Formats: sequence, structure tokens, C-alpha cells
Amino acid sequence: MEPKPAKTSMVNRGLFSMRPVVAQIDRQTILLLGVFVALVAFFGFTRDTFLTERSITSMAFQLPEIGVLALAMMIPILTGGINLSVNAISNLGAVLAGLFLVKLVPQEVVSAQPALYVLLAFSIVLVIGVVTGIINGLLVGYIGVPPILATLATMTFFTGISTGLTGGKTVTGFPDQVGYIGSESFLTIPIPFIIFVLVTVLTYILLFQTSFGFKTRMMGSNPTASMFSGVNNRTVIMRVYIVSGIFAAITGILVMSRTMSAAIEYGSTTYVLLTILICVLAYIVPGFGNVFNMFLAVLILQVISTGFHMVLLGVRGSSFFKDFSWGVLMILIFIINYFMRGKKAQE
Amino acid sequence: MTEEILRVENISKRFGGVVALNNVSMSVAKGETCCLVGENGSGKSTMIKIISGVYTPDEGDIFIGGNHYKKLTPIESIREGIQVIYQDFSLFPNLTVAENISINQQLASGKQFIKWKDINRIAEEGLARINISVPLDVTVETLSTADRQLIAIVKAVLADARILIMDEPTTALTQKEIASLFKIIDDLKSRGISTLFVSHKLNEVTEIADRTVIFRNGVKAMDQDAKGLDVKTMEFYMTGRKIETESISFGKVDITSEPLLQVENLNLKHGYFDINLELKPGEILGITGLLGSGRTELALSLFGVMPADSGKISVQGKEVKIRSTEDAIGEGIAYVPEDRIREGLFLDQSINDNIVVGIIDRMVSRFGFLKNTQKRIEGENWIKRLELKTPTGALPAKSLSGGNQQRVVLAKWLAENPKILILNGPTVGVDVGSKADIHELIRSLAREGLGILLISDDIPELMQTCHRILLMRGGRIAEEFKREEITENQLNTELIGASAVNG
Amino acid sequence: MLNKILKTNEFIVFMILVGLSIVVGAINPAFFSLATLFDTLRGSIVYFIMAFGLLPIMISGGVDISFVAIAAVSSYATHMFLISRGYQGGVFLYFVIACVIGILMGLLNGILVTRFKLPVFDVSLATYTMWFGFNLFFIGATANFDLPKGTIGYYANFLLTVKDPFAGTTGLHESILYVIAIGLFMWWFLKYTTIGRGVYAIGGNRDVAIRSGFPVNRIMLIIFGIMGFMSAIAGVTMAFLSRNFNPVIFINQPLDVLAAIILGGAAITGGRGTVVGTTLGVLLIQVINRALILTGIPVEWQRLVVGVILILFTSIPALRERRMKRIGHTTEITQPG
Repeated sequence: MEPKPAKTSMVNRGLFSMRPVVAQIDRQTILLLGVFVALVAFFGFTRDTFLTERSITSMAFQLPEIGVLALAMMIPILTGGINLSVNAISNLGAVLAGLFLVKLVPQEVVSAQPALYVLLAFSIVLVIGVVTGIINGLLVGYIGVPPILATLATMTFFTGISTGLTGGKTVTGFPDQVGYIGSESFLTIPIPFIIFVLVTVLTYILLFQTSFGFKTRMMGSNPTASMFSGVNNRTVIMRVYIVSGIFAAITGILVMSRTMSAAIEYGSTTYVLLTILICVLAYIVPGFGNVFNMFLAVLILQVISTGFHMVLLGVRGSSFFKDFSWGVLMILIFIINYFMRGKKAQE
Repeated sequence: MTEEILRVENISKRFGGVVALNNVSMSVAKGETCCLVGENGSGKSTMIKIISGVYTPDEGDIFIGGNHYKKLTPIESIREGIQVIYQDFSLFPNLTVAENISINQQLASGKQFIKWKDINRIAEEGLARINISVPLDVTVETLSTADRQLIAIVKAVLADARILIMDEPTTALTQKEIASLFKIIDDLKSRGISTLFVSHKLNEVTEIADRTVIFRNGVKAMDQDAKGLDVKTMEFYMTGRKIETESISFGKVDITSEPLLQVENLNLKHGYFDINLELKPGEILGITGLLGSGRTELALSLFGVMPADSGKISVQGKEVKIRSTEDAIGEGIAYVPEDRIREGLFLDQSINDNIVVGIIDRMVSRFGFLKNTQKRIEGENWIKRLELKTPTGALPAKSLSGGNQQRVVLAKWLAENPKILILNGPTVGVDVGSKADIHELIRSLAREGLGILLISDDIPELMQTCHRILLMRGGRIAEEFKREEITENQLNTELIGASAVNG
Repeated sequence: MLNKILKTNEFIVFMILVGLSIVVGAINPAFFSLATLFDTLRGSIVYFIMAFGLLPIMISGGVDISFVAIAAVSSYATHMFLISRGYQGGVFLYFVIACVIGILMGLLNGILVTRFKLPVFDVSLATYTMWFGFNLFFIGATANFDLPKGTIGYYANFLLTVKDPFAGTTGLHESILYVIAIGLFMWWFLKYTTIGRGVYAIGGNRDVAIRSGFPVNRIMLIIFGIMGFMSAIAGVTMAFLSRNFNPVIFINQPLDVLAAIILGGAAITGGRGTVVGTTLGVLLIQVINRALILTGIPVEWQRLVVGVILILFTSIPALRERRMKRIGHTTEITQPG
């Protein structure tokens, strides 16, 4: 990841560790909120179906996967790193859990106590998140491989394990209980969305209410100074990649549960790039990151996706227009940021 | 003397309401080494920027070699033969020596294609002009700081410099390297190239200057021939007050007390060998030696940055393992790095966060959450205690002035409440006035019972603070002196003498 | 002199390449055949071209991923346009139109980077997403196999052909000449032009490059233009070699090309990288791929092996650097500026 020249100008960012969630609002939040409201208004007026319960529910089922994965990307970026292997981790977790349910344990044993085995399978996914996180942490923190290279290598390595074990085939035939998370709602709120909100809140707490988060942000700002201030940079990096791995694993569970399958290439490179795009939209830079902006950025991407899908219904290749508009939006936000920063610098 | 090359007359420069230079005149003669001395904020860097065309003066005239300028652009300044060697040397680390030297000619010629033969020829000529030899085909990143500086000087000379402006050129050099730099300056002088030497290391100024100009608060406080000018006089003109060196009070060290820090047979490959030392409460122990003598490695090992390979470290009689800075701070050891802003400060983060970063683990509740209120109160307390000029501790550290930033770093390690303090070059780059203040602070901390390891090659500094001084040579402790038993001159001879051994 | 060559990164990569080839050849002698060589080269052609185009950006300190999107849009849009006009001529017009589109697309990245002072990676991420979406929505979403008459035989324009007992009839495709021409051009550009040296200067220290008087913005625009140009050639070549135009060609490949350049000794932080190194890096990846097939490693496990190799290749230099740093630590820590 490139160092962002703009990071020094975000003067007001120092504020938010002092006060609670309210202080999470910064200039980028207002910008994103504006974009979000404008988009919702635009699609709401042009399509009656957009602001219906059905469409909102369907968005709430779709966005958590990429949302949680983006948080897995955000935390390493805060330290000046990046984790290109997030999607590979989530697929590896899903594949191993899938194989456990379908191949490793005899079917009659699973069907005797399906809930237990599904829980076990989900725990396997989380364990994979931790193990893969440790591998990334070792490479980046202890061996000193630049994060972009280390995680590029492990991305191939993790996908390689999935490919080898499945022969490239998608794993299916899960017990119904696997689908509970991905398809059910609690008090009309889809469970994946609840999980996304919980992980977002958890990220906020980790980053702003624990000493781990404090050290992570300080290290991102100036690793030499953090070392001289008694921060053990290596352990911080290790923990950062473990947390990233766990979040990626949670995504694996969400995907597995919604699609009732585990595929080695699910999401592929596109998902990885999308998570970075979200982080860039939310203005995540080494040392500074706003969880609320992450949440907004995810919502914006989903609104664009669903909105244009409705507007362009019946048009050939309509589902691809969203990619185009994501790119355009990102460029626009860069330019707006540039002028906002320029003003600030002149003051 | 001979003809004047540069003369500025009645220069004034204001930034907003602040007067940086007020009606200052000075001149540099051909082949003269003129030292420009002054504390931070005295206006000397503003003057350099006016001479090099970066700033336009509000009033006054500039004469270079007979040409009169009301304002000067950087390009005119270069064309008139004024070359500034900045502290970063303006080199490309990844390019070879030859290319770095000849890149300006290449660009100035406007040629779109490179003839490597020409590049090497220009570089060889340049090196020959100041009579030094550096391999042409190695990249600059592999060179020592002193060699990089030489390359920068060669570049300037090749650009037909008539005046070489050097901004604090000796900061990162060893004694030996400083000596050879001075020889080069003398050599340039014999060819009629003048040097404007900006420094606040006064003993160097006495050594090199033909003439010394001192600025204080934007006005010229003194301008006279350097002969017979001593350090005391210069200090007086710089600060406007007499610096009392007689009234130093050293704390008493109780020889019978249990040592705070005990190091036995400590070794680090490529660093130092077989180190034994003891530090008592209230004692200030100086460690000196040339660059490469192992002094910095030893300090970094004691602070866990470069853990030792073997040997024993005990704090208050208890053996401890120090494998990381976290361990060291846990044992009550604090370290103040030499480059306090770059290695000590988080410029973008809030002042409060900067202050508490070393003690953050002490601000965690039973459930593992940060006590954010306590954090804020701690920060605000230090802001009050050290009289930091800021409306709130929530502002980023970079909103502070340089002096206030130094205080934030100070607050950070004082907040750690250490038993043992390791200081690496505590007054490098600090002006005379603040230097005395820092020395008094160090002594007062020792009087309160802290043990202090002071790493420095500033001999007056060692003599004014330390109880004992260890001299390191080639990774070993070569000698130990008690302050009362040695003079500055003897210590200086011992330190320079070490260079013969180090090579 | 010889001693210096032996220590270069290029030489190390070259030795690994040779060593690997010997091992694979020992396991499966079929590796040492013209057919394998030609196949390997054919497989590498487009990667060479893209890597050469990307190299200056990497040296200047930027990481770009949008070059694959440029390859896809420039080739696919050109094809769909020419087909709609009933074009039946040869490949030349394809290259001309695609290169113009490619250069313009590259310049767009360059303008965003220089005018709005944005990180190369962030801009390229945006244009990558935007251009693939553009291609799929505005131009077409499916691969097109409908080639103009004048281009049909192009895929078999061999300079040399061989009959091989294992691989059948195969040959050395003429596009290898483009690779050689482009490689020589880039080598000359980076070594013998002031702008080329400026690219290294920017990667070494951007501020000093500006201060020294390098036209930094113009240099950035030029290398982005070059990148667009090369990507377009790669896109069109790939389409003709595989005999179809695909709107999402290379969509998953940007990181592979980056990895090849880095294996060849370019630093992710800029300032370092050579054409020779990049060539070796691309070859190394291709040889590893062939080796996996020829040594009989099951297809499904090949990616794992590549992953392990990548981990080793990135860890070993990092460990070496750490050791060097440790020895020279003093200069790192005590000397400011």
C-alpha cells in the first residue's frame, strides 16, 4: 500500500479517541453521509421498489460479507500494512469446514447431532483464521517481509491448500443448520447484518478502547517512535494479522452459510480489491481509521449495486454498471478530498 | 581582507507579525570561512534562505559579486555561485556516486540522452577537484554520512560554487570525519571558494572560522574576526546572558548502596564485547566513544532494541531478561533517542496520546478497556506541568512549535517514571541556552535518585554532568575516568586517540 | 567487475532459473526440448510486455494494478468497433487503435496522480474497477470469437516450427520479436535517456528529484503513457494468440505480473529494478509453472507449491536484509537525516 500523502492534513482526527462514538464523525463522514443520502434519494425517487422492505432486507443480507472482509483489510492498513490474503483465508476456512462436515465425519454421525457438528465446523473456520493470521504475522512482523509481498504469497499458498484438498471442486451437501446464519432473521433483522454490526462495534472497541488498538494506531503513525516508547511492534503486528484472519474467517462462515457451499475461488481477486476500495473510500490511512466511515462506505457500495441493478433492470450486462460507478465514485471522492484538503492547507 | 563576494545590507524579513530579521547587514569575502552562529529562531536559517533565493526580503539589498539584487530567485542565486548543502545532502540513495555528482550537469545541459562516459568523466573531475577518492560505481546508500557529505560538496563545487553554505554539517560526523571536512574547507579556501558555515557547536567554530557572525532574535549581535574569540564570549552574545558553569551542583552518590543496574559480561555480535558496568542510584554515568565504538549498540541492548547475545543484566540486584523495549520499560528503564522528533514523536497523533504512549498498559481497567478519562487527565497534567502552549491536548503534536514538541517527548519519558534513564546525545542539535537547562534537568533527576546513562561525545557535556565516564573503543570498555580526576583536554585526547585504534 | 556481477540480484535469479531447469530436466528430460522452450516463451510473451510497461512505474515508487484493465478495454473495444464496421483486414490496425486507446487510458491515471497528488495504487484501484465495469457494461459482456479474415492466420505466424513427440507441432511465434524490441527499447529508455534516469531519481527520492529540476510530473505522465501503450499491445497480442477477444482478460492477473517484477529485483518501495531482472522474473514464474506440470505434481497441488515458493522467495531477502541491518544498525539509528 502506498503511503498516503494526505494523512498529515486530517487535523481533526486526533480528537476521537477522547470521546465516545460521537467523535467518530469527521469530515470524511460528512462527505460519505452526503453521498449516501444523495444516492438513496436518487434511487428512492427513480424506483418505487428501492425503499421497500424487500429490497432493504435483501441488501442487508448481501452486504455483511464484504463489510466484515473490509474490516479484516482495515486493521492491517492502520499499521501501514495490507492483507491481500483475506479472501483466501475466508475460502480456506469455509473449504476445510465443509470437508469436515461432508468428508471427514461420516454423514450419519453428522445427521445425528447436526447442530453440534455445524458449531464444530464454524469453530474450525475461526481456528483457521487464527492460524493463517499467525503465518502472516510471522512473515510480516518477525521475518520482515513487506506486507504486500508476504500476503500476496500467502494468498497463493492458502488458495493452494484449498485447491489441493478439493481438487478445485466446490464443496456442497451441508446439513441445513449451516444455512441458519445466512438465511434467517432475528426480529426482522437479517442475522448476517447483525453479525456485521457486531463486528463493526467490536472493531471500534478494539481500536479505541483497548491498549492493543492504541498501540496499533501509534505504530501506524511512526513505528520507530512506537518502538522507543515501549510498544512491542512485533507482537502488535502479530495480533493485527490474527484479528484480520479471524474477521476473514467470519466472512467465510457468512459466505458458507448463505451459499450453502464452499468454493476455492469465491470472490477471488475482485473481493480483495473491493475491500481495499472500501478502505480508501473510508479514508483509512496508517495511524488513523474511522470505523463509522467504513460502515458508511460499505452501505454506499451496496446501495450503488442494488440501485443500479433496479434502474437498469433488463439492460444487457446491467450488473456490471455498478463496478463502473464504484470506480467513478472513488475518483470523484479523491478529487473532492483534494480540494477540501487544499483549502485546509491554505488556512 | 580581499574582495567581497557577497554582501547583504539592511535586510529585514517579517512573517505575519513575527520579525525574523531586523535590519541585518553582513558580508562574506572571497576565500573566507565565515561562521554564522545563533540559537534556534535567531534568524540564521531565514538569512540562508534569503541568500539562496528561497525567501524574498521585505527590505534591504543583496550584492553578489558586484551585481545588485532587490530580490533573488533560487536560479539566480545558483547562477551567482551560491550553493547550499542541506542536511539531507539532496542525493539519490539508489543511484551511483558518478550519477549523483553529474546529474546537475546532465539536467542543465538539457540533453535528453545519457553518455555514461561523460557521466563518469564529470564525476572523476569533480572528485579530483577536492582531491578525494570514492568509488564511482557504488550506490550512495552504501556510503557513510561523511562520504555522502563529500559527494554533496563535490556537486556544489562542480556547479561553480563561489560560496558554499553548510547548514550544521558536522551533526552526524565523527571527530575524525570532522577533521577531514575542515581540511576540505581549508582547501576550498585556497582556491578562493568561501564557506558560510552555520553551526552552534562553538568549539568547532573557534577552530574553523576566519570571521564569526552571531545573530540573536533577528538582529546581528556580533561580527568580528575570529582570532582571539573564545567560547564564553560567543555564548554571551548568543544568549545575551552569562552562562554560569561554576555553580553546578552534582548530587552525591552513595557508594555503598545497591546498584540500580548491573551488567556482567554482556556481548553482542558485531556490536560490543564483554561489557561490565554498574550504575548506582543518583549516579550519572557517561559513556563515550567514537561512532562505531559500540556505545549506541550497548545502549540499545539495555533498552531491548537490539537484545544482547549473552551476559547478565540485573536491575536492583534482580536478574532480568530484556528482549524488547516493552520488557525494558517494564523494568523501569527509559530511553531518550538522539533524534527526539523523528524517533520519539508521533506528529499526527494527539499531544495527550504522545504523552501516555509509554505508560498505556498502566491505564487499562480490570476488563481490559482503556481508561480514556484517566488518559486525558494524565496528558493535561503534563501539559500544565511543562507549560506547553496549546489550547488542548487533543490537538496533534505537529501543531506545536519545535521547542514545545521537545517538551512533549520529555513529558513522555517523565510520565514513565523510570528508575534508570538512558540518554543518547541529549543535546545534539540543541542551542546553548537550552543545553544548560537540559544539563540541569539531568542533574536534578539524578539528585532525585534516578540512575542515568548518558551517551555522548560532547566532552564539555560529559564533564558538566557525569560522575564517572566510560570510554569505549572497538566494542570494549577501554577506560574509566572519575570526573574529578580528568580534565576536558585529557578526555579529548583519549577520545581522539581512540580513532587510531578504530582505524 | 566479475565479483560485482556475481553479487547482483539478477545473477541470483538467473542461477535459480538455471538450477531449477536442471532439476526439472533431470526429472523429466522432455523439459530440455525446443518445443518446451517455444511453449514457455509463447506463454510468457504477454507477461513480458505488460511487465516491461509496468516496470518504470514500479521504479518510480508506484504500484499499479489498472494495466490489466487497460489491456482488456483497449483490445476488446478496438475489436468490437472494427467488427461492427465489417473490418476484414490484418492485425496492424488493431495495434494502432488499441495503442491510442491504451495511451489515453494510461494518461488518465497519470493525470489523476500528478494533478491531484494521489497515490498511484489508489488511483489504479479506482480505474481498474471502473474500466472493467465500463468494458462489461458499455462494450460487451461476452468473449467474441468472430475474427476478421485478415487476422485468422496470425496465431500461427511462426518464425520456426518444430515437431515434438510430446507436444506435437509447435513453433516460435513472431510476437517474440515485439518482446525483444520492447525489451531493448525499455532497457535503452531506462539507462540512456534523461527521463529514464529521472524515473530512478523519483523512486530514490522524489523531493530531491523535484529540487534537482527533473520534470517530475511530465516524467510520470510519460511512463503512464508507456504503460498504457504496452498494455494495449499485450491485450491485442493475447487475444490473437488465443483467438478470441475477452472483456475480462487478465482480470485476475495484476498481482502475478507484480510478483514477477518483484522476483526480478524491483523494490516495492521504488528506486530499483531492471529490464534484465524483470525478464528473468517473468521467465522464472513461467518455468515454475512448466516445471510443476513436467515433474508430475498433481494439477490441484500446483498452486500450493507456487505459494510455498513465493513465501520462500520473499522471506529469504527479508531475512538477509534484517541481518545486514543488524550489523550496520548504528548508522540506522543514531544518524539523523
